[in-house]
Amino acid sequence: MAPARVDTQKGAEEDLEMKVAKYSRGKGADLKALRDKKLKGQLTVKEKLYGQSAKAAAKAEQWLMPTEGGFLEPEDEDLEKTYRVKQESILKEVDILSSRKPFDMILPVLGPYTIEYTSNGRYMLVGGRKGHLAMMDMLNMDLIKEFQVRETVRDVAFLHNEQLYAVAQKKYPYIYNRHGTEIHCLKEHGVALKLQFLTKQFLLASINSFGQLHYQDVSTGEMIANYRTGLGRTDVMRVNPYNAVIGLGHAGGQVTMWKPTSVKPLVTMLCHHAPVTAVAFDRSGHLMATAGVDRKIKIWDLRKYEVVKSYRQQAQSLDFSQKGLLACSNGSEVEIYRDLGGHNYRLYMKHRMMKGYQVGKVLFRPYEDILGIGHSSGLSSILVPGSGEPNFDTFVDNPMETTKQKREKEVHALLDKLPPDTIMLNPNLIATVRAPKRKEKKTKKEIEEEMEEAVEAAKNIERKKKTKGRSKPSKRAKKKEEDVLRAKRPFLEESKEVDGRPDKKQRIGEEVELPKALQRFAKKPQS
Amino acid sequence: MPKKPAMRRGKPDRGPDKKRRHGPRLPRAMRQALDAMGNGTSRGSDDEEVSDAGAEDLYEYEEGVPEEEARKNGRYDDVAKYEYEFDSDASGADDNVTSEEEEDENDDGEDEEKQIRILEETTGMPKEAFSAKKRKQPLELPSQPGDGPVTIHDLLDNIQGKPGYSKVRKRLQQQEKKTMVVAAPLPKVEREKLERAVTYKEANKELTKWERIVKPNREASTLFFENDVNLGVNTIAAIANKFEPRNRFEKRMNEITQSNEIMEAHRYDGAKILELNKIDVEDVRERQNRLAKMRSLLFRHEMKAKRVKKIKSRTYHRMLKKDKLKAASADFEADPEAAKDYAMKQELKRAEERMTLKHKNTSKWAKRILKRGLSVQDEGTRAAIAAQLQQNALLTRKMNSMKDDSSSEESSDDDEDENDSEAKILNRGKERILKVLEEDKEIPNSGVFSLPFMERAMKKQQEAAYEEARQAVEEYDDSLRKLEDDSTERNEDSIKVTGKRTFGPAKNLPKDVNKKQKLEESENSDSEYDSDPAQHFGNNEATTKKDVQLGTALLDDEQNGLHKSFDDIMKNPGPKTTFEVGMLAGDSWKTVKSSKGNGNSSVSGITNKSKLLAPTVVPNPKQRDNNPDSDSDSDEEMVEGFLTISDTKENYELPSQAELIRQAFAGDDVEAEFEKDKMEVLNEENPEPEKPALVPGWGQWTDIQQKKGLPSWMIKEHDVAKRNREEALKRRKDSKLKHVIISEHVDKKVEKYLARNLPFPFTSKDVYEQSIRMPIGPDFNPAISVSALNRPAIVKKPGVVIKPIQYEEVNPHQKPDEPKRVIQRAIPHPNAKKVSAKQSKGATSHKRK
Repeated sequence: MAPARVDTQKGAEEDLEMKVAKYSRGKGADLKALRDKKLKGQLTVKEKLYGQSAKAAAKAEQWLMPTEGGFLEPEDEDLEKTYRVKQESILKEVDILSSRKPFDMILPVLGPYTIEYTSNGRYMLVGGRKGHLAMMDMLNMDLIKEFQVRETVRDVAFLHNEQLYAVAQKKYPYIYNRHGTEIHCLKEHGVALKLQFLTKQFLLASINSFGQLHYQDVSTGEMIANYRTGLGRTDVMRVNPYNAVIGLGHAGGQVTMWKPTSVKPLVTMLCHHAPVTAVAFDRSGHLMATAGVDRKIKIWDLRKYEVVKSYRQQAQSLDFSQKGLLACSNGSEVEIYRDLGGHNYRLYMKHRMMKGYQVGKVLFRPYEDILGIGHSSGLSSILVPGSGEPNFDTFVDNPMETTKQKREKEVHALLDKLPPDTIMLNPNLIATVRAPKRKEKKTKKEIEEEMEEAVEAAKNIERKKKTKGRSKPSKRAKKKEEDVLRAKRPFLEESKEVDGRPDKKQRIGEEVELPKALQRFAKKPQS
Repeated sequence: MPKKPAMRRGKPDRGPDKKRRHGPRLPRAMRQALDAMGNGTSRGSDDEEVSDAGAEDLYEYEEGVPEEEARKNGRYDDVAKYEYEFDSDASGADDNVTSEEEEDENDDGEDEEKQIRILEETTGMPKEAFSAKKRKQPLELPSQPGDGPVTIHDLLDNIQGKPGYSKVRKRLQQQEKKTMVVAAPLPKVEREKLERAVTYKEANKELTKWERIVKPNREASTLFFENDVNLGVNTIAAIANKFEPRNRFEKRMNEITQSNEIMEAHRYDGAKILELNKIDVEDVRERQNRLAKMRSLLFRHEMKAKRVKKIKSRTYHRMLKKDKLKAASADFEADPEAAKDYAMKQELKRAEERMTLKHKNTSKWAKRILKRGLSVQDEGTRAAIAAQLQQNALLTRKMNSMKDDSSSEESSDDDEDENDSEAKILNRGKERILKVLEEDKEIPNSGVFSLPFMERAMKKQQEAAYEEARQAVEEYDDSLRKLEDDSTERNEDSIKVTGKRTFGPAKNLPKDVNKKQKLEESENSDSEYDSDPAQHFGNNEATTKKDVQLGTALLDDEQNGLHKSFDDIMKNPGPKTTFEVGMLAGDSWKTVKSSKGNGNSSVSGITNKSKLLAPTVVPNPKQRDNNPDSDSDSDEEMVEGFLTISDTKENYELPSQAELIRQAFAGDDVEAEFEKDKMEVLNEENPEPEKPALVPGWGQWTDIQQKKGLPSWMIKEHDVAKRNREEALKRRKDSKLKHVIISEHVDKKVEKYLARNLPFPFTSKDVYEQSIRMPIGPDFNPAISVSALNRPAIVKKPGVVIKPIQYEEVNPHQKPDEPKRVIQRAIPHPNAKKVSAKQSKGATSHKRK
């Protein structure tokens, strides 16, 4: 008994240490090598605070976030397969609350459905291809608003909370509020095929039928950017939750990544040899999954831009869950893969819709073990144990938030809004020292310094003793002067460029004011 | 006192001669004369026994000369002058000087005689006059021994035998034994150096004791200035409490106000006032009750008014109005004046009505209702419309017939009056229907047979005949009213009505028009229209279902009406229709499901269903024809929509034409294309150097030049550029990644978020970047550490005075890093205070030393 307890204690300590390491975000600098005593002192204090904070965070995680995500675990790995487990058998085992969550809605008329969740997973937006829009509160299964726009609906996207959402319709995207009132018509976007919302930046991104990528700030209404992708029409777009970079999948098999301040894609990757059908990003932002018509699903490491794993499998849509499960839909089948370590994704669950249903979109519901499926004749949701984050941080997302909290959060979000130029591939780069530029214009001071050096060098040149008469002191002096002048000349030109001023020559039209005493000698203008 | 002898002793060392030589050069004889006189004065002053006359003379004379000598020219240095002055003081002890002078005298004995002689010659006075002076001297100093100067012993002799004499003598003897030498003072530089050294030492000591306090303060990340919470702000009451009368006026006032009499009077008076205020308890209660009752009544009334105001029911308001009118009419009987007024008002109203025809379906509301069709409206609306018309009739009727107005039955009659011949025909039809209704169902089709749609309707729906007929009557009303509207609108309306209405005898009344339109449409529509009977017989279930769904899906404008009709059906459902009510129970889904149910269950052609199908399918082709130029996208969706419902996987997967084309041309040679793209990007970001070339004709004059080819510098330059480019390409992040292009484009907008140089105290980039690796915001840190991470360097409440730092004994072995460094406390440590006091005392005493 005793050794076991020791073991558990040890295990707990190790666990805590790991967590502390996680929260201290890398190691501090080697302070012993520092010479500056004051800086050393300051940094020591800082590091100490960091350490305390990390420890507190680790402890908070240990004690305040006790809920652990569960998984389907077979008793015997070889005989039992988790993907053989049916939804019905899961339903029997789970608690009452969870058993109420899965559902099937048969809505055969208004065409294939697309779905969208708010970031806290509480609300779901449903868009039927033929104009049917509905918003539901998934916590108490309430229909909040449902209406018909009576034209094609291609995509739906929540804005910062459930109060507003954007719908890509036949001609333009529109923004509706919770009550279904049309708030805006975003005509500049054109025929948008896909919408994505960048939460931190308050940007609505859309890709239209001409392959143009638009960014619009929804808090100010300002159009931030409008770029031609030049790679044709596509409706494969996903935002990377880590750095808010948008990934587009193209017909040429490329995946391009965009930010609102760059005309050209940041990264272009040739991922497939056929059109890309789906792109999904991991929560950490380091993993990307792509699916192509060439019947392949590839998992990429975005730090190295290399394929980690490639599977022979077709998929129309992909989605990563908060805990890293990967769902992909193929025809009427939905498959869920799980990382067994080292990016070794294995089939974890399988769900077959009724025959004939075409799954259009799979989307994990945040903070719940639920996968939402939008298909050709309605929508459904299934239980996927271990998909959602079991502990939510109310600072980030609160599925149970009250109206007051919602308001508060909205204001905070607006205050903390990031400018669009903060979007970059590696957001950790902010505030670091900028790499020296290759071709940077020198400042005037630098030029002067260099000139002085050159002049000194020119002065110190020793001339050879020449035959008589040619190295007279006067001639030597003259030559030296010439040398100096020659050394100076390029710098003078450079400084002129820096100044951006022309020579000090008098312009013809300019009148020069003579001193008063001399003015009477000046020629009088003829009149 | 001990100094004096030292000075005295020192003097002979220097030698009297040297001293005497100073001063302006006077002729020798003059000097001798002066000396002689000087002697006389000194002696005279010493002894004070000089005869009056002679002394006065000499004194006057003597006084002038030394002054002249002293002030005239500053050639005497300080010391000399001092001594000179000292001499001229002629204090009693200055025997030294006199002795010197005497010596001079002795030296110059011969000279004196000569001088006397000269004086004799010049003045003509006898020799004795001059020599007598000289002779006088020894006479007047009897006590002086002739041999030497006066010493201290001489003086001591005088006090011999007096008390304290032996003491003085002993001291003198001691002093004489050991000679005391006063060292010369150090040079100023040296002295100051020493002084500085001492000062430094002291200052250093004084300052180092602060080090232990100051250093940790300097190193602390945060300093807390806590202080007494009381910021010295007084309340008014406190100030008033402290008030003390100062001047006379205030004192007097105080006296008056505080005096016993006044106080007593006040107390007494106050009590009296209270007494007056006394009210009976019951009175108060009664009053309160009354007020409460009034208030509650008022409140109720208010609430009622609110509620009434909120009621939207027209009937209610109508009733209310009627009641009011009734009340008013009751008044008329009693009051002829009021009756007259009322009549006037009524007359005015009538005139107005005739002018404006306000109640004759001209209002926006009425128009809208009519446009939508009266049949779709609910009972209340219909009644309201009827009432309005009735009112119109009432108001516009001739005066004499005003009195015989009656119920709604006559409203139809009223309508008749106004309508044209067309209306009459319609009315007749309506009457017939009514007749039919009154007749038994066994005798159908007799009167209505003339109307073909009627016939069909009757055929289809015998069980619901009565209701339909009633509707038809209303329809008649409707159309009658429409006749009054302009003709174009009427046409459209009628079409719409037919399109919308799913059943009812009057639905195809203006069928001619409808049919004409249909003929104009494509054959397809006709065929579909024709297919109605086929469906009505209940074959080909699958297709019908599909069509129905398609129709409903595509029906945009007419959908609402359609749903209404379905709802109606649901009210009197067919034998086997089933309804699935989905989660999101919307109209459209309900209807669809119901139709589906129909399709599944239809064994025998239910009249309901067939009727339902006919109108729904018809508009479909219409719409298709209407927008043939809609973009391919929507077409594609339509196709998808079709296939979605057709339950076959293969069909669904059939991609659209555009997609097929896209797919067909997309994956051709993706890799080569990508490589080309990459090359382009690379060339754009690192352009290839231009190939070296000469301007034609240049450098090709001779054979040799041509043979040489391009000049070497050109080739070299090109090579360098090429190498540079290759290096740049190698340095790129994507140089080793074949299928990736990473843009090297530098974003200028990002640059403002980067540091231009390393911030000051940092010298290494790594250290800097590692120091900012930790986010310090509340989103990333637990609440307990956020404040510590973001604490400012100084924590201080506004208004707190920062006192100068106090000395405090600090334990050197204490840990230097306290969690919280409090600089200033509300009440400083008693211990610390003592120490500081002691220290300050020490410091002051030190200064005094």
